[in-house]
Amino acid sequence: MDVNRREFLATVAAAQGAFVLGFWMPQKADAQTVPGAVWYEDPATPEINAWIVIAPDDIVTIRIAQTELGQGVWTSNAMMVCEELQCDWTKVRPQYASANRDAREKAPAWTLNVMGRGATDPTGGGEPGFGNRDRRGVSGIPDSLYRRMRTNAASSVKDGRYYLQLAGAEARERLLLAAAQLWNVPVAGLTAKNSVITHASSGRTTTYGQIARRAAETPHPHPESITIKPPDQWTLMGTEQKNLDVPLKVTGKTMYAIDVRVPGMKWAAVKACPVYGGDVRRYDFEAIRALPGVRSAVQFPIPDPALCRGRVFSGGVAVIADTWYQARKALDRMPIEWDIPPELAGVTTAGMHQELVAALDRPGNVRVNQGDVEAGFAHAARIVEATYSTPYLARARMEPGNATVLVTSDRVDIWIGDQSPQETRFSAAKITGIPEENVHLHMCHLGGGFGRNGNGPQAEQAIMIANANRGVPIHMLWTREEDFVGTTYRAMGVARLKAGLDADGWPIALDVRTSMQEGGFGPDASFDIISRYHVPSYRYSFHTTKFHVPVGTRRGVGQAAHEFYRESFIDELARAAGKDPYLYRRELLVRGNLPYKSDMIKALDLAAEMSGWGTPLPKGKARAIGLEERGAEGNGMATISAMVHTVSLSPEGKLRLERVDVAHDTGFGLVNPLSVKKQIEGQITWFYNDAMHQATTIRDGHVVENNFNTFPLSRINEDPPEINIRFFATGHWLIGMGHDRATSVQSAIGDAIFQITGNRFRDLPYGRHDLSWR
Amino acid sequence: MAFDLTVNGTLHTVDADPQTPLLWVIRDHVGLTGTKFSCGIGQCGACTLHVDGRAIRSCSVPASMAIGKPVATIEGVSPDGTHPIQIAWKEFDTPQCGYCQSGMIMSALALLRQRPAPSDADIDAQVTNACRCSTYHRVRQAIHLAADLMKARA
Repeated sequence: MDVNRREFLATVAAAQGAFVLGFWMPQKADAQTVPGAVWYEDPATPEINAWIVIAPDDIVTIRIAQTELGQGVWTSNAMMVCEELQCDWTKVRPQYASANRDAREKAPAWTLNVMGRGATDPTGGGEPGFGNRDRRGVSGIPDSLYRRMRTNAASSVKDGRYYLQLAGAEARERLLLAAAQLWNVPVAGLTAKNSVITHASSGRTTTYGQIARRAAETPHPHPESITIKPPDQWTLMGTEQKNLDVPLKVTGKTMYAIDVRVPGMKWAAVKACPVYGGDVRRYDFEAIRALPGVRSAVQFPIPDPALCRGRVFSGGVAVIADTWYQARKALDRMPIEWDIPPELAGVTTAGMHQELVAALDRPGNVRVNQGDVEAGFAHAARIVEATYSTPYLARARMEPGNATVLVTSDRVDIWIGDQSPQETRFSAAKITGIPEENVHLHMCHLGGGFGRNGNGPQAEQAIMIANANRGVPIHMLWTREEDFVGTTYRAMGVARLKAGLDADGWPIALDVRTSMQEGGFGPDASFDIISRYHVPSYRYSFHTTKFHVPVGTRRGVGQAAHEFYRESFIDELARAAGKDPYLYRRELLVRGNLPYKSDMIKALDLAAEMSGWGTPLPKGKARAIGLEERGAEGNGMATISAMVHTVSLSPEGKLRLERVDVAHDTGFGLVNPLSVKKQIEGQITWFYNDAMHQATTIRDGHVVENNFNTFPLSRINEDPPEINIRFFATGHWLIGMGHDRATSVQSAIGDAIFQITGNRFRDLPYGRHDLSWR
Repeated sequence: MAFDLTVNGTLHTVDADPQTPLLWVIRDHVGLTGTKFSCGIGQCGACTLHVDGRAIRSCSVPASMAIGKPVATIEGVSPDGTHPIQIAWKEFDTPQCGYCQSGMIMSALALLRQRPAPSDADIDAQVTNACRCSTYHRVRQAIHLAADLMKARA
C-alpha cells in the first residue's frame, strides 16, 4: 500500500476546510490568503439546515447540489437561498453539497411538496423535473436529501428554485425564532435584513452569526407553513450578479479535477479500443516496464452498460506511472492488439447516412397524424420537399476526462468534475462492491460540461483502474484523443419534410419524417408533436436504425437538430410562397392555437424590430430570422426566444455572423440575468461552430476527428461583433437557459447563404460547401 | 536529470527529462496548476504561458527551451487578481467554465505588452485561444478595458 491510509484520512479530515471546492489543497493557510476565495467551512459550526451553515463571523455557506460548469449555478442557486434568508450577499460562500450524505439522508418533509399551481402560478414552485425514484439518479432521487444532483437539461434553476428558496426561508424563520426566545419577545416584532435581526420596539439587534448556534438548536414548529417569495417581491433574484467563482478563475487558482493532487497519488494514461464494443486482445507491458516512472498496467473491460445508461463503450488498458506524461509516453510505446467486432470494422458515416435516408421510406413510428395529410397534398397548388442532414457531433469540452479515485477495503473516494454524482456513486458501489453510503465524491468545477458527464465512462474507467490498485490513489487522465473515444455523441440525423401549399402559399399539409439512430436523443428523433406553425393536416413519424456509436445528451440535445430542420423548412416555404420569412412565421403562429402563441409572436416581433428587419443591406449581406422554443405545445413551463442573424458573405465565400438580435422570454423572472446573457452569447458561437465547421465522421468503425486540428473550434475572430439582447416578461416559469438557445444560428446562416448565393445547402456543416458567389 | 527554471521570478530546480513538455514540468514538477492541458498539440492555447515575454503553447515545447529564460504563468500575473487585465476580466464577468481562461489571459497580456492599444483585428490575429463556452464576446471587451487600465496605471 503506497499510502498510509490512516494518515491520509486524518489529513483529509484536518483539511476539510479546504475541501469546499472538493479539491485537495495541501496548505489551507495559503488558500485562506486568497481574497474573495469562494470556499469556507468550519466543521465545528453547526448547520441551520442541510443547505445553510452560518459562522460566527456571519459568513454563510450555501450548499449547492448541482455542478458549476460555467453556467453560473453556484451563483444563481446561492441567490435563491440568500433571497429568502435575507443574508448579506457579500458574505455568501457556495460549497458542493455532499453526494455521500445524500446517500444517507432523506430530504426534510417540508421540502417534498411543490407549492402552488404549476408553471403559470407566480407564487408557486413551478414544475420541477423530478422523475420517479431512480437509484441511478438518471431522473433524480426525489426523496434523497439533495434530490436531483444531476446537472443537465438546463434544469438547475427550474428544479432547485422552490426548495432552495424554502431552505433560505426555513433558516430565516429559525433565526428569528431563536432571537425571539433569547430576548423573550414575540417573533412578529422582529425583522431580518442583511444578516441582522432587529427588534423594532426596543431597537435591539443581533447578527446571524451571533444567533446561528441557537437557531441550529431551534426547530421550526410548523415548517410546512413556510412560503416563498413570488418574483414581484424578489430583491436579489432578478438582479445581475457577477459569478462568485470568477475571481479564482482569473488567477488560475480554481481547482478542476485535473488539478487534484493527493498524497501518494499515481497517474494513469488510458487507451480504450477506438471502435466501440471492441476490447483489448493482448498488450505487452514487458516492452515498457523499464521506462522511467512506469509502475504497472491494468486492463479493464467494457464498462457495464447498465452503469452507462445502456451505452456500450470499449475495453482498454491503462499504464500507471509516477507522472502522467511518463504514463502517456510509455502507453504510446506499448504494443496493444485490439479485438474489434468484425461487423463494425467497415462501418463508415457515408454508409450510416445511407441507412438513415433509406429508413425514411420504411414505416416509422407515427407520433402524430392530424387531419388528412395525403388529401392535403392532393389538393395542394404546390408541393415543397426537402431533406436535411445533421452529423454526429462531439461535445469537446476543454478539460479532458479525468478523475482521481482511491479505493480501500471499505471506502471509495472520488475527486471528479461530474454532472451526475448520484450516478457515479452508484457506479462506484457496483464496481467495487462497497456500499453507496461509503462512497465519497469530492466535487470539482468542470472545465466545460455540455452534457459530457453522466453519460459515462469517465468515472467508470477510473474506478475500475483504481479498484485494481486498492490503497493507491490513481489519477486517470485522458489525452484529447482519448476524450473523443470516451464520450457519447449527438446522433447523426436526417429529416425529410414535405409540405403542400395552397394557391396563396400557406401550408395545408405537412409530413415530417425524421431518422436517427435508436437511443439518439430526443425523444428518439425529437420533432414537434404539435406543429408550431399552423397547418390543418400534420403527420410526424420517426424512423430509427441501430448503430454502434454511443449517443447521448450533447448541448442542445434533439432540439438543436429539429429546430434546424423546422426553421430551415419554414424559410424554404416562405421563399416558395414569395413571402417575407418573418411575416410568414408570424401569420402561421397567429393562425395556430398554441397556449404560448402570443409569447412566440412577441419574440418574433421584438427580434425583427431590434434588427431593423426590412431595411436594405448591401450586396453580400443578409438577415434571417428563427424562432426557438421549448415547451410551447403545452401550458407548462416553456422557454421562448427569437433571433435575427445578420450574415455577410464575401464573393470568395468567407462568411461572418455580423450581428445577432435576440428577443428572449424571462418567464416570471430570471434569477441572474447576467448569467443568462452569458449563456446566450456562448450558445450563439456554439451553434455557429456546429453550423459552419463541426462534424464527426466514422471510418473503419471508429471516430476520425479526435483533436482540435480536425474537429475545429471557433475562435474570437468568428464571434459576432454585435450581440443585442432584450428580454420580455411572460406568464410562466422558464424551463432553462443552458443548452437549447441560439439554435436558429443554423437555419439562419443557411437562409442567408441562399439569399446571397441562390444556393440552398441542407446538410451541416455549411463550411464543407463552396460558398463563393459572383 | 536536474535543471533550473525561473518561473514567476522564483528559481526551481527540476528533476525531470528536459525533453518533457514545458507544460508538464510546470504542472507536475514546479507545482503550478493554473496552466491547463487540453489538446496536447498546440492547437487550443489552454497551456499558454510566457517564455522570455512571448506567449508560448507550453504543451508543445520541451522544458529545455525555457532554461535560462524567464517563464511567467497565470500565477505570476498577480496573486490576488489585482492586475489590470484581471480587473478587466472580472468587470465583464468574463469566464464561464474558466478552464481556458488562464491561457486566454496570458495570450491577451502578451498582445497588450506588444500593442498597448490593440485593434479588434489585432485581437483576432493574436488571441487565437479556443474557448468552448465561447466567452469571446466578453474577452474582447475585457482586453480593450485592460488596455485602458494598463495605460492609466503606466
